[in-house]
Amino acid sequence: MDAKLVNPFVSAVESVLPQMGFQAPKRTALSMRQKNVAGLGVSVIVGFTKQLRGNVVYNMDEETAKFVASTMMMGMPVAEFDAMAQSAISEMSNMLTATAATNLAGMGLEVDISTPSLSIGEGFQLKISDGPYLTVAMDVGGHPLEIDIAVEKQ
Amino acid sequence: MEKVKIMIVDDSRVSRTMLANELNRTNFDVVAQAKDAAEAVRLYEETHPSLVTMDMNLPDADGIECSRRIYDIDPSAKIVMISAMKDASLITRGREVGISAFLQKPVNTNELIDTLMTLCQTEIGKVAVLRDSYAKAFVRALSQGIFSIAGLHSEVQLELDNRRFIDVSGVAVIIGLTGYPQGRAIFYMDKETLHKFSAIMLGKERVDDVAEEEASEAVEEAANIIIGRGISNINNVFKDREVRITPPGTISGTNIRIASPKLTTFRIEAVTPAGNIYMNIGFAEGE
Repeated sequence: MDAKLVNPFVSAVESVLPQMGFQAPKRTALSMRQKNVAGLGVSVIVGFTKQLRGNVVYNMDEETAKFVASTMMMGMPVAEFDAMAQSAISEMSNMLTATAATNLAGMGLEVDISTPSLSIGEGFQLKISDGPYLTVAMDVGGHPLEIDIAVEKQ
Repeated sequence: MEKVKIMIVDDSRVSRTMLANELNRTNFDVVAQAKDAAEAVRLYEETHPSLVTMDMNLPDADGIECSRRIYDIDPSAKIVMISAMKDASLITRGREVGISAFLQKPVNTNELIDTLMTLCQTEIGKVAVLRDSYAKAFVRALSQGIFSIAGLHSEVQLELDNRRFIDVSGVAVIIGLTGYPQGRAIFYMDKETLHKFSAIMLGKERVDDVAEEEASEAVEEAANIIIGRGISNINNVFKDREVRITPPGTISGTNIRIASPKLTTFRIEAVTPAGNIYMNIGFAEGE
């Protein structure tokens, strides 16, 4: 897959999250991976169609998920990763993906996105493509957020 | 018409029983009865009813506090407050937490049913459309697909799924739906069924002859075919719209919970000789 396709996703994180009260998120690493994505605890998958086809996963541990949910809810303490926190994570994934879709349109790629599906559990495996995919590690207020991107131009 | 799930919260067993009898005779299905706020919150999470009748007097918190806790779990909950007194301050406090309907004891059954129907009407209309126009397309696709792929006959059932999670120990293939309706389809089965079904699909004599990865791939392919067929059924009817499917994302492991906040979801269950195969079709609410 084309490494240039990572930028719209990274800039979505950099532009959307500060509006929701997060300190400037940074990209910390980028790697090309094969085979399955290892679920870190909370993984949200969103699919793409039209000029790009594939999947993107927002992959994080439960601590990060609770931190993100709490920040989105104006700092309300989130002790348990409950329905409201799940809804917040799902909403964040939707916003990031929709912004990435707008960024992709700016590159001349028209895409449609599916609704996010949130998976919770220990040690599950997630296969998102038959070939290699790119993993971007980001730092969001001191918490790690992994974005796995497997999209191909049609 | 589909029955509307309802929960009754009242500290009096007699009141609960009377109300449940009345409601069960009509278009409602009393799925839970709670005697106090703690039980109400727990049962709400378990049964996710479409409506709640809430008594004001509960032993561990009042009806307004109990409603507030339910709205914390589900901001779109529909609650009717029933109280002996119906004064302005109670209504104001109730409205502040989000309650939109108030009735006074003793409740006239017709009045109660009218109120409940009004509260849930928009919901039912939307669900009926999604069920008949879209979810049913996948029922056909699932039974035909299982037969054409594996030669298995199946009994297939469709129901509205109000659970907040799908629990999976085995494999789940998630395929996104884009266009209108936007949503996602999940095709899943437990580990034992995964092995049996993939062995049949791949023409292997023994379940042990199929490697784990090969089994998941077979199920992924089955999901692709079946969900693709369901979408064709939809696109053939609604020619002005085109629904597309995303490539699959396949999750395997044990004790995985898959949640789709804010979707209206349907569960389709196929009982086959190889085990039960499930689909969950979810659509984003509203157009």
